[in-house]
Amino acid sequence: MARRTEPPDGGWGWVVVLSAFFQSALVFGVLRSFGVFFVEFVAAFGEQAARVSWIASIGIAVQQFGSPVGSALSTKFGPRPVVMTGGILAALGMLLASFATSLTHLYLSIGLLSGSGWALTFAPTLACLSCYFSRRRSLATGLALTGVGLSSFAFAPFFQWLLSHYAWRGSLLLVSALSLHLVACGALLRPPSLAEDPAVGGPRAQLTSLLHHGPFLRYTVALTLINTGYFIPYLHLVAHLQDLDWDPLPAAFLLSVAAISDLVGRVVSGWLGDAVPGPVTRLLMLWTTLTGVSLALFPVARAPTALVALAVAYGFTSGALAPLAFSVLPELVGTKRIYCGLGLLQMIESIGGLLGPPLSGYLRDVTGNYTASFVVAGAFLLSGSGILLTLPDFFSCFSTTTSRPQDLVTEAPDIKVSLPKEGLEED
Amino acid sequence: MRALPGLLAARAPTPRLLLLLQCLLATARPSSADGSAPDLPFTSLPLREEMMANNFSWESHNISLTEHSSMPVEKNITLERPSNVNLTCQFTTSGDLNAVNVTWKKDSEQLENNYLVSATGSTLYTQYRFTIINSKQMGSYSCFFREEKEQRGTFNFKVPELHGKNKPLISYVGDSTVLTCKCQNCFPLNWTWYSTNGSIKVPVGVQMNKYVINGTYANETKLKITQLLEEDGGSYWCHALFQVGESEEHIELVVLSYLVPLKPFLAIVAEVVLLVAAILLCEKYTQKEKKHSDEGKEFEQTEQLKSDDSNGIENNVPRHRKNESLGQ
Repeated sequence: MARRTEPPDGGWGWVVVLSAFFQSALVFGVLRSFGVFFVEFVAAFGEQAARVSWIASIGIAVQQFGSPVGSALSTKFGPRPVVMTGGILAALGMLLASFATSLTHLYLSIGLLSGSGWALTFAPTLACLSCYFSRRRSLATGLALTGVGLSSFAFAPFFQWLLSHYAWRGSLLLVSALSLHLVACGALLRPPSLAEDPAVGGPRAQLTSLLHHGPFLRYTVALTLINTGYFIPYLHLVAHLQDLDWDPLPAAFLLSVAAISDLVGRVVSGWLGDAVPGPVTRLLMLWTTLTGVSLALFPVARAPTALVALAVAYGFTSGALAPLAFSVLPELVGTKRIYCGLGLLQMIESIGGLLGPPLSGYLRDVTGNYTASFVVAGAFLLSGSGILLTLPDFFSCFSTTTSRPQDLVTEAPDIKVSLPKEGLEED
Repeated sequence: MRALPGLLAARAPTPRLLLLLQCLLATARPSSADGSAPDLPFTSLPLREEMMANNFSWESHNISLTEHSSMPVEKNITLERPSNVNLTCQFTTSGDLNAVNVTWKKDSEQLENNYLVSATGSTLYTQYRFTIINSKQMGSYSCFFREEKEQRGTFNFKVPELHGKNKPLISYVGDSTVLTCKCQNCFPLNWTWYSTNGSIKVPVGVQMNKYVINGTYANETKLKITQLLEEDGGSYWCHALFQVGESEEHIELVVLSYLVPLKPFLAIVAEVVLLVAAILLCEKYTQKEKKHSDEGKEFEQTEQLKSDDSNGIENNVPRHRKNESLGQ
């Protein structure tokens, strides 16, 4: 019985998009809205704000650093069992947190346990998504990632309502029940019925082959640089506006405007990435350059209208580059190494995400205003987009579809197959 | 918000200097800004004995009225310590100033003496001085200007307000919670906490580590209750004592048992389990159907091959076509 070698680009794939949508909402929406619990923890445990902030930081760090583990496990067992286990872990972490008697309990339960749960869900899901789509991959990824934006809007007031009725213990219990839906989302991740590759080579072999893959390494460096500059506005824009004598409420409103245009940017870029012929890398470079430019222009703008326009531009372009960043990967490393590649990518680029904001804060402390911070952030983005120029297929006229049968055979490291473009880098 | 003490109090500790300053300020125009001493054309100033002897701070406040003021003008003043108070009202009218009747009242009692009246141009000034020592002197002081209509200006003296939490505080059985009361920029002499049994206020005693009262700063108080029981829920009152009065605030405490959030939790978990079961069963069902149809097709295919083989080469073409259609 012959099976497909091409991804279906539809059908059950749209259900996977739905699952990814809910998963990104449940993982990142919960993380981003955790600030609501922050005040309660400070009051309940009588601890300083800095110590309470570590809860979310540990959670994010574990989620990103644990991504390769999630990817490796899903290469071996398939995405479904891994994501379902991740959902159970995440819910368990929150459940145990509701019984916490000290801050350390919360570090371990929410930070470590829920963080590992989240690590096992996000990367495998996105990789699974890439298995289902090739022509409309960017659109699918973009649609799936809109879950993050929408849930950040919805969960913050929802959590506040929960807190006013159940206090933080009861609310954590209910958030745990909410996170359990990750298990249901994981159940939807049917592995696509692509032709089975008998000698996949296992996760370790894939990892080694990836680490020797030139374009992948360059792409990782590019994304790390991009990641360093990417988060800075979300953290420091409000402070920068207050330096310019804006009131807190209009400043927060500007951030909401950026968030809305981020959402629109994700969907538009996803659609555009599939509709426009040619490699997606070019579009990614376009959006990254525009984001870098808009960031660098922030310190120059003084008038409110200029700042609003820049916020919209930044929101749109930074949202636009998000789905494409995930779409380029399958074109580089192939569908079968996607799980491994995505995990590794997340882990390395998280270094940029961790270092960027403190660096920006340090520049602010040294120079006295945010000009240097924003310009440096823009510079990071521009240098990242410069490295994208060096990727293969950048200047070619037609896009490389990842469903080439040759890709599936190159995984076994001892088989040397010379391919027209990627063969030279293969081990 | 506390009113700032007037310029007189800041600069003139002795009465003689006060008189001198008043003469210097005699020709200046008065202002109706809050808190600053109005430059009044009062040339003689009777100061009472107690005001000269005490070293309380001075509070000066001013209200401006015109004949066209439609609503009574009120000023709220927060006071926590005994003070000497200097109240001034000025009334501008186009009519005859001599026909205006000026009176002062405290709450609804008319005050007989200690107020001055003076006139400049088309404005009538009146000043009332007194000392607030305890809560009896706190209240509303009003100046009245009666022509045909009566114009009124009121100074309301209140103790500082306390702020608790508007929303009820929610906690769980066995947990501990902290009730906080604070006021802005105030230093009460004493803080007390009361809990209510029905409608009776019972002071909260410090019993056996269950209740701990302390506050890091003078302007706040914290009541920590440990080992909460459901009966501990209800209304709590925090009470601040000042020299010039008392102030209190109400805080609501709700103690829930673990069953309250547990019920929705279990409901949602049951829903997730059902969902997962439904998804997996649905998939098994469709896979079974596919398997059956595939097996059927494979069976047909092998049958065809057998028959084609036996038929010979002439059937190559139809066999190819059949294979292609099955492979799609």
